[in-house]
Amino acid sequence: MNVKRSTSLLTLVMLLIIPLISVQLSAQEETRTLVVSTFGFNQDLIDKNITEPFEEMYNVDIIYESGNNSERLARLEAMGENTEVDVIHFAGAYATRAKVLGLLQEIDVDALENYDELYEFAQDPLGDHMGIGHAINSHALVYRSDLIEEPITSWADLLREDVAGFVSVPEMSTTFGPANIIMLTAAAGGDPLDPEDWEMGWELVPDLADQLVTTYTRSSELIALYQQEEVWFSPYSSFARGNLMETGVELEFVIPEEGVVGDPIVVSIVNGTENEDLALAYIDFIISEEVQEAEALDLVDSPTNMNVEVPEDIAQLLTYGEETIDSLIFMDQEALNELLDEWLERWNEIMLQ
Amino acid sequence: MRRTVSILVLPALLFIFIFFVLPILFLLAQSFLDPETGQLTLTGYIDFFQKETSQIIYVRTLRLGLTITLINIVLAYPASYVLARMPARRRTMAMSLVILPLMTNPVARTYAWLIILGRTGLINNTLLGLGLIERPERLIYTEGAIILGLTQLFLPLMILSLVSAMENIPKDVEQAARSLGANGITAFLRVIVPLSADGLVLGATLVFTGSITAYVTPVILGGNRMLMLSTLLRQRSMMAFDEQGATVVAVVMIVTALAVNLIVRMLRPKPTAQR
Repeated sequence: MNVKRSTSLLTLVMLLIIPLISVQLSAQEETRTLVVSTFGFNQDLIDKNITEPFEEMYNVDIIYESGNNSERLARLEAMGENTEVDVIHFAGAYATRAKVLGLLQEIDVDALENYDELYEFAQDPLGDHMGIGHAINSHALVYRSDLIEEPITSWADLLREDVAGFVSVPEMSTTFGPANIIMLTAAAGGDPLDPEDWEMGWELVPDLADQLVTTYTRSSELIALYQQEEVWFSPYSSFARGNLMETGVELEFVIPEEGVVGDPIVVSIVNGTENEDLALAYIDFIISEEVQEAEALDLVDSPTNMNVEVPEDIAQLLTYGEETIDSLIFMDQEALNELLDEWLERWNEIMLQ
Repeated sequence: MRRTVSILVLPALLFIFIFFVLPILFLLAQSFLDPETGQLTLTGYIDFFQKETSQIIYVRTLRLGLTITLINIVLAYPASYVLARMPARRRTMAMSLVILPLMTNPVARTYAWLIILGRTGLINNTLLGLGLIERPERLIYTEGAIILGLTQLFLPLMILSLVSAMENIPKDVEQAARSLGANGITAFLRVIVPLSADGLVLGATLVFTGSITAYVTPVILGGNRMLMLSTLLRQRSMMAFDEQGATVVAVVMIVTALAVNLIVRMLRPKPTAQR
C-alpha cells in the first residue's frame, strides 16, 4: 500500500516537473538573463518602473541579487571571476572601493543614448567611466523647530551650546561618516574639497563629541532617535526624508549655507561580464527621462537626468531643483578610501573618551 | 559496551568537529596570517593591543562582563535558594516564570528597555511627575543601561544553574550545620555555597561569556560610542573590511572566555570539611 502510494506520488511529481524543465529549456534559447545586484528597497516599484518594461522590451529576464553595500561588495570580491552578477548598484564610497579592487569595467558611454541628458556630476562619478550616477542622494541638516528657537543655518550650529546633548551624526564607518569632517572643515572656514584643510574639521571633532547623544549607523536608527525625543538636531540622508516627515514631530529641513553633501548612487558593469550589451541597455534604460521620472514620482530615487520634471510636492521630498543641485558638494571618494582606516581609528579614539 | 558508547558519541563529535572546531581553527590560523603575503605574523595582535581604542574597549568589555556576573550572582543566590527549597509542583511553576524572559525575542526585549529608559520613558516620566528631577535624565547610551539590559537577559541562566546544583544538596546538611552552632548566614556561606559551587562555576561562565559576546543589547542600549568587543568586531569586518583585524578580535574574545572559565574553576569555593 505504502509503496504503491509513494510510487504514484513520485509519478505525479515527475509529471509536474518534466514540463517545467522543458519549458525552461526552450525558454532559455530565446530569453537571456541579466543579473543585477542592488539594494532591494522598493522592489515592487522598481519592478513596475524598470523590471517589467525592460524585460518585455529586450526579451530578458532580470534576476536581482539584493543586500546592503558592504554585504554585496564582500560577495562580489569573494566570488571574483566566478560571479554571475552583470550589473551592480552601489553608494559612492563602495563603488569607489569596487573600482579600486578592479571589480568593475569601463562603460562605453558612446553606446548610451541618454548619456548627455545627465547632470555633469552623474556622468563619470568614479573616473575612467567605471560607473554612472543614476540617482542622487544628499546629506543636509534637519532639526526640531518646536524645541530649538534660533534657526539652524550652518553646519557650525552642530556645536551650538543650546543644542548640546541633543545632537546625533552618522558614525564614521557609514557612507556619510566622512562628511562630518568635510562639512566641519567648511564650517571652520576651510575648503571642504581640499584635503589639506581637513585637519581644520578634525580639530572640531572633540567639541562635536561633547554635543552628541550617540552616533547613528543607519537612517532607521536616526528616525527612532527623533521619535524617542533623544535627538533634536542632526544631519540626515535625503532618502530618509519621507520617513522622517512621518514621525509626527515638528521638523525643519535645512540647506546649510556651506552646502549639502552629494552622493551619487552609482551603477556599474561587473568586470568580465558576458552580457555587456544587455548591461549597457539596462543602464541606458534606467537613466532615460521616462524611467527617471517614474522613479521620482514614486519617490524611489532622486533623478540625475536633467530633463525630468516633477510637481512641487514631490520635489520637496527629493534631492531636486536648481538650489539643491547647485549646493551639492561631492566628496573625493578615492582620497577618502585611502584615509578610511586612519579616520576610523582617529574617530573611535575621540568618541570613546 | 565501550565500543557501542564510542559509536553512539561519534555523530555528535563529528558535528562539533566540522561545524565548531574546524571553523575556530581556521579563524585562529587567519588571525596569524599576513593578509597580503600570507606569511605567519603577529602584527594583528600587536596592532590590537597597542591601539589605545582597543585597550579602552577591551577593559570596558572585561569590566562590564565581571560587573554583570557579580550582580547576577548576588541577585540569583537568594532566589535560587528559595526556589530549590520549594515543593516540586510550585517550583516547576516558579521556574517557568524565571525562564520566561528567555522566550522573548532579544530585539523586542531590548526595545522594551528603550520605552522604560528613554527620555520620555517610564522612569523619567515618573521622576518628573514626582518632582524629583526638573528635566529628563539621559539613561540610555550609558554603561549602566548595558549592565541593566544584560543582567536581565542572563539572570535566568544563573538561577537555572544554581537551582540545579542546590537541588542536590540534602536538606539535613544544613540542619546539621545549624545544630552544630552555625547561624543562618554561616551555614549558607560555609555549607550551601561550597556545595553549590558547580552551579556557580557553570552560571558564572555562561553569564560572563554571554555578556562579553552579546551584540544586540550593547548596540541598542549602549549606542555606537559604547563600543564593546562584539560591536568592534562588526565594525572591523563589515565597515572597515579588515578581515584580519576582525579575526584577531574574535580570537581575543574566545581566549578571554576560556581564561575566565579556567580562573573561575580555580577559584571555586571548596567544601572545607570534606575528606
